[in-house]
Amino acid sequence: MLISRFIFFSANRRLARAPNLLQRFGPSKRIQSCGYVKSAKNNYKKPTSHPVMNVETQSSRSWSAYVIPAALLGFGGLVAFLHYNDERRAIKKGQGNNRGYGAVAAPIIGGPFTLVNTENQIVNEQDFLGNWVLLYFGYTSSPDIGPDQAQMMAEAIDTLESKENLKVLPVFVTIDPQRDTPAQLRAYLKEFDPRIVGLTGPVSAVRQMAQEYRVFFRKVEEEGDDYLVESSHNMYLLDPKMKVVRFFGLEYNAEELSKEILKELKKHQPKAE
Amino acid sequence: MMLEAYAAGKRDEIHTDVLLKARQACYKARDAFYSCLEMQSDKKPTEIGSVGLLYPTECKRSRDEYVMNCRASWVKHFDRQYCKTKRTQRLLDDRETRRGV
Repeated sequence: MLISRFIFFSANRRLARAPNLLQRFGPSKRIQSCGYVKSAKNNYKKPTSHPVMNVETQSSRSWSAYVIPAALLGFGGLVAFLHYNDERRAIKKGQGNNRGYGAVAAPIIGGPFTLVNTENQIVNEQDFLGNWVLLYFGYTSSPDIGPDQAQMMAEAIDTLESKENLKVLPVFVTIDPQRDTPAQLRAYLKEFDPRIVGLTGPVSAVRQMAQEYRVFFRKVEEEGDDYLVESSHNMYLLDPKMKVVRFFGLEYNAEELSKEILKELKKHQPKAE
Repeated sequence: MMLEAYAAGKRDEIHTDVLLKARQACYKARDAFYSCLEMQSDKKPTEIGSVGLLYPTECKRSRDEYVMNCRASWVKHFDRQYCKTKRTQRLLDDRETRRGV
């Protein structure tokens, strides 16, 4: 027991001396601390004189003696762990990203749908496989944006077909199925382009498709039967496998749209061949 | 299934007031009304349109044309848009007259 006490004491002496050195700028403090340390030392040299106090100071000191080595060990462990993690995650020079920049690192938008077209036939996404599709969610009662977008779609499709001989199928899905019957869609879309496929259906089917394509729509300014539909205006370009490749917002006009679609098609051509 | 019922049951009613001709008539009436507003901008607006748009009595006739040719929700939509552009225009124009803004 005496040996253990001696070890503690030597450790404590080291600790006691360190704060001593640090307090060099406070002369009064130094004297004070010196006195304190000296008295403690004296105490320890006479183990039998104050046994109770010795034990008390010993236990508190022993706990504080373990703090710094433990902290150092913990810090060392943390550094070692981080280093190991870095080594594991590091990509060696030269390997890099094998997928290339063409891969779309985005949430998968799109999915199966079943709707009714303007000829009152039931259509689902299988019927569009193998075609490039330009998909727009709109409604016939739109005051200005809907007609503009539909016109732009028609113009872009026209440009692509006449100049580049590329067939892209335009599809107009109505987000207002209660008012847009197939006949209504047919009359509306006929004025823009006979190639545009119109799709409608029961409200639940349209809502499901809109959810898959992350399209937001809401009725506003409702006055009985007369309302507008607020929606996130986006035009989706789908590849022949019905995967969303790109979407276009409102800021595109017909030429830019056709140019962008051309770019996407050209990018996907080498893969197809 | 619901879809078959839908395909079979819908009647063939078409809202013709959103087709091309009606749309163009609406746009023309709307533009006429707004140009009237611009011309009479110095007169005091006493009549109330929708969504807070005020217009002077001189433009009442074109207003009636406009309202007749377009749907009510469209009228509100266009009026709101017009007020917004007017407001931003005013803010942009006032840059010279106001100091420290």
